[in-house]
Amino acid sequence: MDVKAILNERKESNEGDKSQKVKSSDSIILECRDLNLWYEDTQALKNINLELLKNHVTAIIGPSGCGKSTLIRSFNRMNDVILGCRTEGGVLFHEKNIYDKKTNVIEVRKKIGMIFQKPNPFPMSIFDNITYGPEVQGEEDPQKLEEIVEFSLKRAFLWDEVKDRLNDSALTLSGGQQQRLCIARALAIEPEVLLMDEPTASLDPIATAKIEELVFELKKYMTVICVTHNMQQAARISDFTCFMYLGELIEYGETTQIFERPRKELTENYITGRFG
Amino acid sequence: MAKELHKEILELKENVVRMGHLSLDMLDKSMKALKAKDPNLANEIIQKKDLIRQLDSEIEAKALRLIALYQPMAIDLRRLATILKVITYLARLGRYGKDIASAVDELSDKPYPAPFVNLEHMWEHIKKMISNALKSFTEADLKYIQDIGSRDDEVDEMRWSIFRECITYMIEDPKTITSCAFFAMIARFLERCGDNACKIAEKVHYMVTGEHIEIT
Repeated sequence: MDVKAILNERKESNEGDKSQKVKSSDSIILECRDLNLWYEDTQALKNINLELLKNHVTAIIGPSGCGKSTLIRSFNRMNDVILGCRTEGGVLFHEKNIYDKKTNVIEVRKKIGMIFQKPNPFPMSIFDNITYGPEVQGEEDPQKLEEIVEFSLKRAFLWDEVKDRLNDSALTLSGGQQQRLCIARALAIEPEVLLMDEPTASLDPIATAKIEELVFELKKYMTVICVTHNMQQAARISDFTCFMYLGELIEYGETTQIFERPRKELTENYITGRFG
Repeated sequence: MAKELHKEILELKENVVRMGHLSLDMLDKSMKALKAKDPNLANEIIQKKDLIRQLDSEIEAKALRLIALYQPMAIDLRRLATILKVITYLARLGRYGKDIASAVDELSDKPYPAPFVNLEHMWEHIKKMISNALKSFTEADLKYIQDIGSRDDEVDEMRWSIFRECITYMIEDPKTITSCAFFAMIARFLERCGDNACKIAEKVHYMVTGEHIEIT
């Protein structure tokens, strides 16, 4: 779906309100073109066409099994590791198809990081969790690594809570802290896009609120795409929302429009709980 | 849980309609009491103002509770947002009914100018506007309020016409000054009732389409 059309519509509806006008810096960072995906014989994504804007948060919502996790995993080729998975069409990152045979998947995943539902810190110290990525990339300077740790933890809103215990095991942290550590770990290799697959599903409301605040902050530096079952969360944190159903992208638009006046009946029925 | 929310919104909607009919009835009876100089009827209307206030508070509290409990979206959110605004307009209509009824006591021993000016005609016009706005809300159908803006323009003209008429009567017969001054004021009340009907129509339009409009 054409994001420029959505933005132009916003521009027209806000004529005269300069603060709402589309910025010239708005640009497309990721784009799905005729994306189809099968697990064995089951088609999980059906002809997805979607443009995602840089430095914005996009939420993907839909009922279980609609393909939202599959879609988000297709943005950094995480589906490649699933046996029997086959993809057609493309995902363009900075206008280059990441499904090209020449694409270096490791490079793609460096630029497009991912956070999962359950925090998965490595069983090592907080410090080592953060330095793991940069070290694999060849960074050896201890001072530089320390700077990266402080920078990443500060950006993930975790520094103040762990700065005096960086050598403690990451597994001693609470669930919410572990999730923010995973985010800090992803930030350490400076990705351009952060994919989040239900990042707060296993967290309590306070830890959830911290992650949401963090997402709000992160979009200043990167693009965030977040799958969530929590529609209120999608409404709070995202600029744009995609609604998916049975592998199809049903509606895509600005979050306020999707949740206040959806255009499609299916979207309306889903977000108002009138399904089934 | 969604079913429970929808059931509660339906009940809330019924209460709004009840409040709407009560406000309309207060206005209608106040105009009858005014014409007939009937203090008993006027008193009956004045007593109802507490009921309007009570309904206003109850509906508001329930709507806010539903928002807090269910965090509704799309049409559910628009319905509740509309209800919260519409009850304010309905409470104002009821209050104008009470204000008109209060004038009856003041006018009981004052002579009216020969005809009951055009207030009655103006009220019939506005009554239809309010009824249509309420029907539009009940049925979520915009057809009843399509021309409400132009109907309100007519109301505005009627108000000035009554104002000029009252001045003429006052000049002709100073004994009618009190009643005519009240009539000019009541014409202004009724004109504001027309504006409130338009405000309800604006919110119903938002409820149905999700778009905000201004009826001028």
